[in-house]
Amino acid sequence: MVLRLRLARVATPGGARRHAPIYNIVLAQARTARDSLPLEVLGTYNPIPTLPEGFSEKDVKEGKARKQKDIKVDVARAKYWLGVGAQPSNTVWRLLSLIGLLEPKYLPTGPQTEKALKAVRFPTHVPSSKTAAGSEATEEGVVTQAIREAAVAKGCLISTMVRYQE
Amino acid sequence: MWTWLKGPGKAFRKPLPGSTNYLGAYDKQGQLARMKNNRDGDQADRRRNEPEALEDEDVAAKRDMEDENLSEEDRELRAEQRKIARATREAEVDDMDEREGRPRERLTDLRPYPLNHGFRSQPVLSEDLREMLYIQTVEQGHDLSSVAATFGVDLRRVAAVVRLKTIEKQWQAEGKPLATAYSEAVLKMLPTTPFKPNTNNPVTPHEPINDLPVHPSTRPQIFYPASESRSFTCEDAAAVFDRKLLPADKRIPLPMLVDLEKWKNEGLNRAERTARQIEKDRSAREEAETKERKKLEWEERTQRTVPGRRWDFNFQDISAEKVGKDGRGRDAIGFRYGMPHIDRKAGVVKIPTSVQ
Repeated sequence: MVLRLRLARVATPGGARRHAPIYNIVLAQARTARDSLPLEVLGTYNPIPTLPEGFSEKDVKEGKARKQKDIKVDVARAKYWLGVGAQPSNTVWRLLSLIGLLEPKYLPTGPQTEKALKAVRFPTHVPSSKTAAGSEATEEGVVTQAIREAAVAKGCLISTMVRYQE
Repeated sequence: MWTWLKGPGKAFRKPLPGSTNYLGAYDKQGQLARMKNNRDGDQADRRRNEPEALEDEDVAAKRDMEDENLSEEDRELRAEQRKIARATREAEVDDMDEREGRPRERLTDLRPYPLNHGFRSQPVLSEDLREMLYIQTVEQGHDLSSVAATFGVDLRRVAAVVRLKTIEKQWQAEGKPLATAYSEAVLKMLPTTPFKPNTNNPVTPHEPINDLPVHPSTRPQIFYPASESRSFTCEDAAAVFDRKLLPADKRIPLPMLVDLEKWKNEGLNRAERTARQIEKDRSAREEAETKERKKLEWEERTQRTVPGRRWDFNFQDISAEKVGKDGRGRDAIGFRYGMPHIDRKAGVVKIPTSVQ
């Protein structure tokens, strides 16, 4: 059976509440119930944007502060499970791609995206010096490369689009 | 009452200058208790008349100039030392004059209520010291905690002094009248902590070294049974009051005074104590810097902020290993899952098998 990295809605510390969702990022068998006991809890995700400490809504409106969504995740463990074939759900895919763990599903390609992803990568995911040198030689980011290969394999026109963007 | 007023109470008709005049300081005959077998006053008189104590500045300076072994710097240093010694002596003599040769109050003399032996009147800050605290914090811009440590005054007290002094200065600027006569009268009746600049001991620590403010969570009386075999320390007691409460030893407002007292008991002289204090300050500062640096490094390693269109995504790299073998570790990240109680299951031993 397939292992999935997905979100499981859990009761908040004060008990289950409507309109206040909070999730565990879990590794579970694909066909088990969403909130059942998972194989592993990899982190948490709070989808409600919260004010940073010491700021008010007014500060947000005036641009002094930005709201934030807190995500805690064991990056090394998530990377391991991805490596052995666990399949992330769409939401988890989107979250993990924010820190450069996966290729983003829906993002414009090109050097700008590559740079942005590199900036947020955790040290465990920075490629070793050898591979880094190799990728420099091609002067093309991992994401762009992968998409190009996929496009070529499909015989689709995306490859021309990528070239056009560059 | 009349007999008392004519007898022992007579002494209180004219309060003694430079003394607190508490009831506890007098015996039943109305005599000052500390005058009876203390010859301190006589000593002071003797010291004042001593010719050796301090020679004239001109004479000493002339002697230094004639001494060829001394360099210019040495001469300056010696002159400075003489100046300090002279100021110290003058302060002593002034102090003694103010008390008209009577010795200082002993601890037993500071009991305003003779029947309440436990209550001792605590000194208040003198006008000089309050002014100095204000100058140090506001005009010279030193931070409150350093000033508090230097002058041996509680941090909150320094803050209060600064607030009140600010108001006083403001009123003076506005030309409002101050009730100085009242404050002077009260200060005359209470023991005060002096500030004597340019003397050997400019600063007298104000706070008693082992005074503990009552923490609100220690107010309830708790009956907490503990087995005799268990060693029950201050730390345990603090934990019983509140899980987050620090033990009494760590809640002392000015711990450096305790260190100072310990070093005095070890028999270290002034220079050695200062050296230790400097060393201690330095190591504390280094520790704080290391902690700050490590925190920054940790944040650098484990935190990322990805800016979105409307909000930021804050990522924190955690360890999922903390759940432990049973998957229920208390400090693990993530909301945990319930487990069935097995206390009703047949065959499970419910009687505890060990006693801690």
